[in-house]
Amino acid sequence: MFNKVLIANRGEIAVRVIRACRDLGIRTAAVYSEADRDALHVRLADEAFCIGPPAARDSYLHIPNIIATAELLGADAIHPGYGFLAENPHFAEICQDCKITFIGPPPEAIHKMGDKAAARQMMRKAGIPVVPGSPGPVRDEAAALAVARTTGYPLLIKAAAGGGGRGMRVVQSPADLRGAFAAAGQEAAAAFGSAELYIEKYLTEPRHIEVQILADGRGNVVAIGERDCSIQRRHQKLLEESPAVGLSPRLRRALLRAAVRAATVVGYVNAGTVEFLVEGTNHLYFIEMNTRIQVEHPVTEMVTNIDLVKEQIKIAAGERLSLPREIEAHGHAIECRINAEDPARDFLPSPGQITAFIPPGGPGIRVETHAFTGYTIPPYYDSLIAKVIAWGRDRDEAIARMRRALGEFDIGGIQTTIPFHLQVLDNAFFRKGEVYVNFVQRRIDLGPAGRPRSA
Amino acid sequence: MSDHPRFDLEELRALIRLAAEADIEELEVQGAHVKVRIKKARHAGPAGHGGEAPRPDAAATPGAGGTAVQEHRYTPIVAPMVGTFYRAAKPDAAPFVNEGDMIEAGQIVCVLEAMKLFNEIPSEVAGRIVSILAENGAPVEYGQPLFLVDPSPAA
Repeated sequence: MFNKVLIANRGEIAVRVIRACRDLGIRTAAVYSEADRDALHVRLADEAFCIGPPAARDSYLHIPNIIATAELLGADAIHPGYGFLAENPHFAEICQDCKITFIGPPPEAIHKMGDKAAARQMMRKAGIPVVPGSPGPVRDEAAALAVARTTGYPLLIKAAAGGGGRGMRVVQSPADLRGAFAAAGQEAAAAFGSAELYIEKYLTEPRHIEVQILADGRGNVVAIGERDCSIQRRHQKLLEESPAVGLSPRLRRALLRAAVRAATVVGYVNAGTVEFLVEGTNHLYFIEMNTRIQVEHPVTEMVTNIDLVKEQIKIAAGERLSLPREIEAHGHAIECRINAEDPARDFLPSPGQITAFIPPGGPGIRVETHAFTGYTIPPYYDSLIAKVIAWGRDRDEAIARMRRALGEFDIGGIQTTIPFHLQVLDNAFFRKGEVYVNFVQRRIDLGPAGRPRSA
Repeated sequence: MSDHPRFDLEELRALIRLAAEADIEELEVQGAHVKVRIKKARHAGPAGHGGEAPRPDAAATPGAGGTAVQEHRYTPIVAPMVGTFYRAAKPDAAPFVNEGDMIEAGQIVCVLEAMKLFNEIPSEVAGRIVSILAENGAPVEYGQPLFLVDPSPAA
């Protein structure tokens, strides 16, 4: 086992890793920027070292200063957390060269999954479904009709240079394809200066479901259950839960199998997450693999009683996985990400000093946070200030406990996303388990000024 | 880590707070290598100080909020990177500088070793080395003061 682990991160995840190390009897070294001098991870670690000015590129992304600190303090391993250097194959390689264990996958696996288009190709070859579509830009209507025969209808025409819905058309039948293709091309040329178009299968109300895996590099790859992360806003996850509500046992098994296969194909070691889009009751499509611990890992921990960060450290230290091949989920867990953002003002960041901070507690509630009364949220980093995780024997109990917890949570001095979460938890469709990636857009009325209505 | 012979920002802040709260005009603290004098700034205006004219030397440092660090005669040379602090280019070589030496801006004052690379660190100020704050061979963090320089003799 390691003697000392350096945590190359900040915020709640740095605190989380320090706690896992302490449980394992490992000494911890924190690094921090000048903006984080008073941060909780600096206080909690056994040692702390300033590595640079506030800008992340000069501190938390500054590889020479981080490696130098690890060497100076005699750390034998580095935990990258999530974000910053967690999915940088170059950093993982430098750690290897410096004989410091990178607590994560090998650089080759990070690299292979980092190129998203190449990763999808690789998965398709391995027999894992990906969203069917044109491999490259589609030249003309004849080519479009040929692609349509492979994707089926409805399909989506997308501008290669696109974004924001412009140059996009949903097509229901071959008869509509001709006109839609020409119109999308014109729109794309006008909007982006390029008429290049892609075609892919249009998924009706897909859900985002991901599978947590652990691999020990000794041939053991285990799927630790799934998480539904469909509650998103602009591709940012806001609420996650496990298990995914209403998933058939057959589709669940297919997801877990596909995830294990994906990890095996890239020679994956350590903790990772394989993300899928799920359509209806039968179809799953690989989107990407995240080669790190994820923000939402606690929901899996709550239903499986597995400490994923401890497992990461043990795997990196060369220990064999000691988990059963089939892991059963107990009860239901939900996580709400509390961000320093104002939902009433289009989720505008709300940095500043926290004048009051009374986190919730009681049965079934877990809070992961680096915030405290008097803490000033620096404007340089992300806006996550706390994660509230509620566990219940079933989904209804988890929702009830989450509502109770968010109602208790007192955060003064800044705006947070708590009102938004309460609105989701009170939504009748959410309560029925009708979730999909467009849920927030379709079901949550943020009002003309983006203001959540009070429940 | 508090056995460093230097005042860090935290300690200075604590001193300023102490001075601000206490019913005193001025606070002077002398450590092994450093002397700090904090004087309360006086605000012209409706202060309860019976119309006493503000002293010219008490012009507040911007942003110091009611108190000002005065008499900051010494300028620190801080570590621009993380590394191991060495006073000489080689173990048997003479140190780049000693206490009492006069230095010019741009003159090499130490090396910081990081990832097997020796980085020569120049001074940004000219003056006299008043004290050396880091131990030879000690790890130093970003922004840690390494030397105190008295710039006045050069002026």
